[in-house]
Amino acid sequence: MTEAEAASATQAWQDAQLALMALQLEPQRLGGIWLRAGHGPVREAWLARLQGLGLPVRKIPNQVDDERLLGGIDLAQTLQSGRLVHQSGLLAQSDGGLVLLPMAERLAPQTLAHITQAQDRTSVASQGAQASPTRFGVVALDESEDDQASLPARLTDRLGLWIDLRNNSLADTRETLEPLSAHEVAEAQALLARAEPTPEQVHAMCQTAHVLGIDSLRPPLMALRLAAVQAALEGRCELEESDLAVGARLVLGPRATRIPATQQEAEPEPQDSTEPPEPPDDQEPDDEPPDDSPEDAQEPQDLPDPAAEVLLAATLASLPPHLLDRLLMGQPAKTSGSSVGSSGQAGKSKLRGRPLEPRPGKPGAGARLHVLATLRAAALKQKLRARSAGSGRVQIRAEDFFVRRFAQRTPSCLIFSLDASGSAAQQRLAEAKGAVELLLQDSYARRDSVCVIAFRMAQAQVLLPPTRSLLRAKRALAGLPGGGGTPLASGLQAAVVQAKALQRAGTTPMLVMLSDGRANVSANGVGGRAQAQLDAQAWAVQWRLCGCASLWIDTSPQPEPRAQELAQAMGAHYFPMPYVQAQRMAAVVQDLGNAMRRA
Amino acid sequence: MAQTFPFSAIVGQEEMILAIQLLAVDPSIGGVLVLGDRGTGKSTAVRALADLLPPMKVIKDCLYGCDPADGSVLCEACQALKSGAKRKVESRAVPVVDLPLGATEDRVVGALNLEKALSLGIKEFAPGLLAQANRGFLYVDEVNLLEDHLVDLLIDVAASGENLVEREGLSVRHPARFVLVGSGNPEEGELRPQLLDRFGLSVEVKTPQDLALRVQVVRRRDAFERNPSGFRAEWDKANHKLRQRIVRGQKAIQNIDVGDAMLLLCAALCHKLGTDGLRAELTLLRATRAYAALQGDAVVGREHLRIVAPLALRHRLRRNPLDDTGSGVRVQRALDEVLAA
Repeated sequence: MTEAEAASATQAWQDAQLALMALQLEPQRLGGIWLRAGHGPVREAWLARLQGLGLPVRKIPNQVDDERLLGGIDLAQTLQSGRLVHQSGLLAQSDGGLVLLPMAERLAPQTLAHITQAQDRTSVASQGAQASPTRFGVVALDESEDDQASLPARLTDRLGLWIDLRNNSLADTRETLEPLSAHEVAEAQALLARAEPTPEQVHAMCQTAHVLGIDSLRPPLMALRLAAVQAALEGRCELEESDLAVGARLVLGPRATRIPATQQEAEPEPQDSTEPPEPPDDQEPDDEPPDDSPEDAQEPQDLPDPAAEVLLAATLASLPPHLLDRLLMGQPAKTSGSSVGSSGQAGKSKLRGRPLEPRPGKPGAGARLHVLATLRAAALKQKLRARSAGSGRVQIRAEDFFVRRFAQRTPSCLIFSLDASGSAAQQRLAEAKGAVELLLQDSYARRDSVCVIAFRMAQAQVLLPPTRSLLRAKRALAGLPGGGGTPLASGLQAAVVQAKALQRAGTTPMLVMLSDGRANVSANGVGGRAQAQLDAQAWAVQWRLCGCASLWIDTSPQPEPRAQELAQAMGAHYFPMPYVQAQRMAAVVQDLGNAMRRA
Repeated sequence: MAQTFPFSAIVGQEEMILAIQLLAVDPSIGGVLVLGDRGTGKSTAVRALADLLPPMKVIKDCLYGCDPADGSVLCEACQALKSGAKRKVESRAVPVVDLPLGATEDRVVGALNLEKALSLGIKEFAPGLLAQANRGFLYVDEVNLLEDHLVDLLIDVAASGENLVEREGLSVRHPARFVLVGSGNPEEGELRPQLLDRFGLSVEVKTPQDLALRVQVVRRRDAFERNPSGFRAEWDKANHKLRQRIVRGQKAIQNIDVGDAMLLLCAALCHKLGTDGLRAELTLLRATRAYAALQGDAVVGREHLRIVAPLALRHRLRRNPLDDTGSGVRVQRALDEVLAA
């Protein structure tokens, strides 16, 4: 570890300490903490301190159901008393404290939506019961690796403090701050109640956020709040410059999407250069200010490119229709041995998917009791049964049981792995992009999600983690430069990694590989054809073991034997992209380019 | 009940504010869809909508808030009343009902009243969110993430204006005319075309880039969070004024004259943009009229059309799902051509 890294790790730990104190004083209005750290002693140390704050901390497991989250019927009480008894949900119970989300990156979107809605509205209304307050802070633990999907922006936008302890060692954790005593908290909170930023300070914070390219208006608010907390911790109720600095550093710093331009080298116009600048990772793509400074060189990318449209139309002609359907219907080649990869997805239909009407049946064997429906079935027979049994309790008999059912919707995700190397010459790359766009349209109709991987130079890169937004997929493609070696193995590897992650999430992955199959960079990123081809072969077999459908679109001028071989190893449908079309294409594009130059 | 941010204190986002006001003036426009970035105050604005609405007259104790003035759409209970004793009338706030994402069908449609069934053995219908929203507004945050089966339900009820419940031995039919309001971030998913079509207006919100505006937003929000009730009291007067304006608009709208020339213009515009069906024209017409009413003008003019057309048509264009050139631009272009002709 370099000195700088060590220093930044120490800083991160100190910030994490400060974040704890801030939460202790102000659990709600800072939104909460996004803690990125793997499972391990560092995180444990931090969590232990979190528990020691004296705030109620409610852990919400990922598989929580809506009834528990938002409140529902208290079964035991209802049966006992013979009338409907509600119980509050976890969110209502967390009022005034913290909600802890372990593995928040794996949280179902629905669950997340409930949490953010409750946080925004500061109250939650559960079925039939009256609204109960939900003022809480969220501590989201994120274990995702660099190449995996992290927390959705919907949540991170609401979490004020972003702490990253992934590079910390246990040694860093020796230095800890004592949590505030109840008395100290009360004192500081009294100060906090009076701490108010001056208009100039608000202005300064907003300006900072603006310059850093932070568009959402939540961050400056939360940064100001943190500044007030910092002042209160120091025993003041006037905010000073140092307080604002803390707020800005912790809340705004990690969200910056651009560095304020002091002296930036002029970037080349991306339109026709081979290497357009890549859009920075986390940037909100569409909100560049129209009036702004020289660093917004990405603008031209978003303009419709007439040449690209022509390409698109041309590729349309060269691809057979219903490619996706064929891909989906076509069974992947049998894996050797039994079903290695298909991790029992069929068995989940009683547990996940879109809820259907409950139906009578016995719980157990994977079916869960539908409490409400069961009660309803029992309700109307109560008078009769009371007569025979003579007790005041609600009587439920086996014949009343209803179980939950779900329509298994198997969401699918299309993974595009795109060869952007030099050998997939410039024009073929453009065509390949055109092909992907076509397939994207097709997938829009089918409402799949998509994921885009590109490989060139030494390695593969996930351009776009799985998303339903086709717009983002399109943008990710538009910004993709070409050139360099062909790390085919990495491209396949990345696809396998994504596919496995998707399978774990209950999604069916499908792969569309666009490459000429001529690998020349090995899995380790070293040049050399022979090794590269072997590695590619090995990963092709790995893909086959996933047991997922795939399609290989051969982008070489003539059908390429090596591509065919790899496709076969993967169990992929092989499809050559005919060159005739491409040649005509090239002519058209050239003409167009000439015409534009003359104009 | 948690306090909502006062409507009149919302800074900027003129288009969204306008769309919501138009709806308040004439609910028959058919709802609004607000799409935009995170942290732009989408849901703040919608939840503040209640501030704009004067109370409405309903038949006393009606679960569905039936309108005493309109005998054609009454729930079964009120219909029974009609023939018998004289109906009493009470005044109620216009409902703005939140439809949470994970709501169960039971909750939305209504179901057997468990309490009564368990304790008394009576079969009775417990109305759901659709009943609550009758004659008011139904708000779906993150509408693009709504489960498909709920979308189906909404599409059906929004079209027919009544909720038909056939389950658990119940057979109930009640009016459910509501204005659908949705918001969402398009980055997180697309909307089903059928649902898109149910929204009369659509607006796109972006974070304000003007620094002064941003500062103002942050300051007001900060002040509100600090002291919600105090802040609301401060804005009470402004809210009241706004409400008066809406009421005047509601009254004026009956007398607003839409000339044939205007109808032709609307038709030409829709034709030029290739929007399907008459729904677009109708919405355009109603929205333009509502705008004129809101402005206190007696005749619908071109300038009204110019302002309102993008709101009413933007989401109705046939478009390539991958084509992100703003459809607003296309509407504007067509508008310029039609108005110039």
